[in-house]
Amino acid sequence: MPRSVGFKYLFEKRPELKIAIFAGKGGLGKTTSSAALSYKLSTMGKRVLCFSTDPQASLSDIFEKDLFGKGEIEISKNLYVLEIDADKRIKEYVDSIRQKIKDMYKIEEIPREVEDYIESAVAEPAMYESAVYDAMLDVVSQNKYDFYVFDMPPFGHGIRMVAMADILSKWVDKITEARRQAYEYEKVASRLKREKYTEREDQLLKELESIRDRIVSFSRLITDPKGTAFTMVLIPEKMAIVDTEKALKMFEELGLRMSGVVVNQVYPPAILEDPRAPEYLKKRVEAQKPFLREIYEKFEDLILAIIPMLRREPRGLEMIEAVAKELWESTITLDDLEAISKR
Amino acid sequence: MKEKMYIEYLFMLMTIGDMMGIPLLPPYYTLRLLPYMVPNIKGWKLRMLRERDFTDIVTG
Repeated sequence: MPRSVGFKYLFEKRPELKIAIFAGKGGLGKTTSSAALSYKLSTMGKRVLCFSTDPQASLSDIFEKDLFGKGEIEISKNLYVLEIDADKRIKEYVDSIRQKIKDMYKIEEIPREVEDYIESAVAEPAMYESAVYDAMLDVVSQNKYDFYVFDMPPFGHGIRMVAMADILSKWVDKITEARRQAYEYEKVASRLKREKYTEREDQLLKELESIRDRIVSFSRLITDPKGTAFTMVLIPEKMAIVDTEKALKMFEELGLRMSGVVVNQVYPPAILEDPRAPEYLKKRVEAQKPFLREIYEKFEDLILAIIPMLRREPRGLEMIEAVAKELWESTITLDDLEAISKR
Repeated sequence: MKEKMYIEYLFMLMTIGDMMGIPLLPPYYTLRLLPYMVPNIKGWKLRMLRERDFTDIVTG
């Protein structure tokens, strides 16, 4: 029996899956994998939402349709895509914060120090990332679909949110307790003053609790061992292998489990035996060998699917269908990888 | 009264701590707390800067 791989086997093992996350650096095939899995599941009768945030709008490229910032759009039966415009979302959000400040203090202009703070917060790269995660939470909590596929931006900060969830929960508990005590000691203070003060504090505490809830939900969403498959896409190249190892280590340190990796852009080893195959192609197959060996040795148990190098760029439903087939049940098996490693 | 100070301090630390290099919350969420911090921002910044100057002298 050849040791076959493919998402088919993952779904057989984990029938309760509801979310698949594809992470990794740009240009390795995250968006293609996301689109392909979404397409496959939709043809099996699941209502699927494929979510992406790429500012270069690659879901739009793949589906050959302008989807960027346009909301949830039905591509084919049961297949919906959402390519959010995170910058626009941030802008609207920040404007609402500004308005809130103006309303709260009945002022026309935002004070200088406050405006400075807002602007420096918006300029941070983490701002973009956390805005994306917030949008992810929104779509999942609306619960309109059977399955969600997330094409994630590079994931540094996301891991930190998971670590943060726990710390923040403890802080909020502590603050709530300290606040309750403070309130009891404060009975001597003038009643009017106290009421005004505590009302604002109440709101603030509520806000803090709601932030905690969102961070905790996000952390649950991406670490749920039953419902979520967290996967990374890599290609047979040194940098991608190093990045995947780093991510695995981060996961381990947080006590999390990655569901596995997708190996993309693999030249089928059969090319070497094909007398008609051009020389340059054979050279490329040879060049991939040491990296495929490394991938096999390091990630053998984690490999979920192996996608062969495609002749054309994956665009349009037809190409996505071809990728989906490989993702679901890969033509290249673990045995093939092992054979390459030994050669 | 001390507790009140403590809470205030804590909140400020969470909100704009990242300005001082100790981020605790994602910036997307700290902005939600910002409106409540507006009256404190000026004084707090000065206090933190003073404290930092003090530690700089000690450690440097």
